[in-house]
Amino acid sequence: MTSTIEVNNLSKHFGKVKAVNDVSFTVAENKIYGLLGRNGAGKTTLMQLLTGQEFASSGTISLFGQSPVENAKVLQNTCFIKESQRYPEDFRPKDVFKTAPWFFANWDQEFAERLIADFRLPLDRRIKKLSRGQLSSIGVIVGLASRAPLTFFDEPYLGLDAVARQIFYDRLLEDYANHPRTVILSTHLIDEVANLLEHVLVIDDGNLLINEDAETLRNRATTVVGMKTAVEAFIGNREILHRDGIGGLSSVTVGGLSESERRDAHAAGLELSPVSLQQLIIQLTRTETKEFEASA
Amino acid sequence: MTTTTSALAHPASPLNRITRVAKLHFANPWTTLGLPWIILGVIFVGSLTIWWLIYSALSPEVREGALQGTEFGGSSFFIFIYMMVMAIHAISITFPFALGYGVTRRDYYLGSSLAFVALAVIYTTGLTILGEIEKATNGWGMGGTMFAPIYFGDSVSERIFVTFVLFLFFLFFGSAIAAVWVRWKATGVTVFFIIVGAILVALFALTTFTDSWAAVGATLVDLGVLGVAAWSLVATAISGVAGFVLLRRATPRNAA
Repeated sequence: MTSTIEVNNLSKHFGKVKAVNDVSFTVAENKIYGLLGRNGAGKTTLMQLLTGQEFASSGTISLFGQSPVENAKVLQNTCFIKESQRYPEDFRPKDVFKTAPWFFANWDQEFAERLIADFRLPLDRRIKKLSRGQLSSIGVIVGLASRAPLTFFDEPYLGLDAVARQIFYDRLLEDYANHPRTVILSTHLIDEVANLLEHVLVIDDGNLLINEDAETLRNRATTVVGMKTAVEAFIGNREILHRDGIGGLSSVTVGGLSESERRDAHAAGLELSPVSLQQLIIQLTRTETKEFEASA
Repeated sequence: MTTTTSALAHPASPLNRITRVAKLHFANPWTTLGLPWIILGVIFVGSLTIWWLIYSALSPEVREGALQGTEFGGSSFFIFIYMMVMAIHAISITFPFALGYGVTRRDYYLGSSLAFVALAVIYTTGLTILGEIEKATNGWGMGGTMFAPIYFGDSVSERIFVTFVLFLFFLFFGSAIAAVWVRWKATGVTVFFIIVGAILVALFALTTFTDSWAAVGATLVDLGVLGVAAWSLVATAISGVAGFVLLRRATPRNAA
């Protein structure tokens, strides 16, 4: 498998703020990546570094085998849709869709038109008269119809309603199946995109916390529910990610369990339930914070 | 269902990469081509009306020379300032937009420069044609002057040169200011104007203390309209290069 992106010891400091701190990872070709993390975690900075918009303080980035900075050969294969993407004020959506194909060799006009209908985007209205959601849908349409071999979506759906977001997920998956490409999606709405993601990168405070296959990640934790005594007996001195309880009932999230452990749990009358990606990430990032504080 | 991997894009030729950025500035031609001509038209109609009022109020003997003073008028001067503002606006808004489309800063700047030169050509052509009509009709039949004021030169070729060079100066000075804005926002622009102001004051003081205003005046007269216009190319070139150098290291940010 070839990697589209290779990042080594990448750091970006703004004065004392370490927006991205010694991060290394690779991104495989034609997969959908989730770049997750809290506000200000460094997601946007990382994407800006990858697209050559921001200059690294140290470390190396390679896209399609070359540095992206001011490299037309590399950059014309990318499309970067930002959270609050701005457009020339006098533009109307139709001007955006007229100009975008000049820049993207794989642009599909038919697909763009279908998306415009899906999102019910008015084409003739001036950009500054559009609602936040309509503005976001322009970005989503450009990002999808560009079919850029490497597409970045940075929180692309500010103001989009649930229906529109679902359309985005559906169209992304559909089109991705027919035209595989590498997509990096940063988002807060982790559960909504959980089924979309094949690989997850979690960044917190500039550090890369998790870099794992989505499937593996889902198996990394299980919630054990049952009578308090039974649960306590089962978990023993396992590492606890999260604990909850009401009265005699207890719900404890622990690391991944093997097949035999699962059988033991069922035998003990305990219920096992998978942990959602969102819960897992919240718990893992919390743990990290605690450990960090403890060691500080 | 066919499955095709999104192949890497065919590398666009360097020229194509630059011209598509230039085209971006004309995608909605309202700000670059529509509005300026409309404003110019309104000013022109207004001037014509005033001239006509003056002209018809005077007796035929004094009519001829009455509007001669409009030779020194500057009613078409706004268009140069407009071009500067437009350049600042165009760069500050399309720079982050184009970079999201995978355009390099270099291609972006060269493409924008190409668009600006094209604009200078278009507006010079327009003003020259109107100026010639003005001359040929003896100032729209009333001796008025709007498009060919005296300081644009005496002949057509001189006027073309001076107008073109002035457009270039304002457009590229504008793009230098825009580059400062994109890179350091309002703080940068403030500092920039303080520096420009300080340089002007320093030159002014230098001229005063060395008692050389007479010499400066004589030099300007010697240079003539053409000479001064030609020297503005130096300032234009400095602005153009400065804009390029500044933008090369700029990062698009969302904060306005």
